[in-house]
Amino acid sequence: MSNVLEPLVNRNTLINKLNISSNYRKFTDTVSVITSDGRIILGVLRGFDQTINLVLDDSYERVFSMNGVEQVKLGVFVIRGDNVAIVGEVDEDVDRQIDLTHVRADPLLPIVH
Amino acid sequence: MLPLSLLKTAINHPMLVELKNGETYNGHLASCDAWMNVYLTQVICTSRDGDRFWKIPECYIRGSTIKYLRIPDEVVENYKDEPSRGQQIRKDQMRRGAGSGQRGGRGGQSNRGGRQPSNLSSNVGGSTNSIGGARPAKQQRR
Repeated sequence: MSNVLEPLVNRNTLINKLNISSNYRKFTDTVSVITSDGRIILGVLRGFDQTINLVLDDSYERVFSMNGVEQVKLGVFVIRGDNVAIVGEVDEDVDRQIDLTHVRADPLLPIVH
Repeated sequence: MLPLSLLKTAINHPMLVELKNGETYNGHLASCDAWMNVYLTQVICTSRDGDRFWKIPECYIRGSTIKYLRIPDEVVENYKDEPSRGQQIRKDQMRRGAGSGQRGGRGGQSNRGGRQPSNLSSNVGGSTNSIGGARPAKQQRR
């Protein structure tokens, strides 16, 4: 979509795109999802509903450990909303600059209820 | 693309269901409903630690116990191909728009004139008939 046609209001926020996508438009942005069991899943958000069930396409899990980051392909993934902690839009330009081979991090802990 | 309608498209496809307790169920989706309850056939259940397996001919899983579902890529392609999606909705809206335009326009006027009384069979037709009766009367008064 061209930025020339953008009105004064910033419609480029994730929540605005989500609202637009519910009107049968294509939503093709990569999101990062953190689930309540501490997994980090990235994928193209193809759909969602009122309980925050998500459809992720071409998704993969980033498994963080002190030995480096492993990326596990998952494909089409439907996450139940109960299990979703955070959904964030990924800036793919910034994401590409990250050299995951040098990233060392402990995995996230699951949510404690 | 709504998650639950995608799930409906995935009926008869193989899928993996992970429950909140960590158990995974691999099987063919036989049916599902609006609560994400799923009915799987030809199931292989894997324990939380992944070292024990059970073969189960069929099982019914309550939706609220599900963590996530992995479905084959071709299901998304099938979903896009189904004509009953967005395109169909748009067509319906256009049809509705065009229909009301005709009814309000030519159709209505011809009824007022009383040229096609044979068309006025239903209740709706009857009401337009009564309107049709009123309008010429006004015109006559003028």
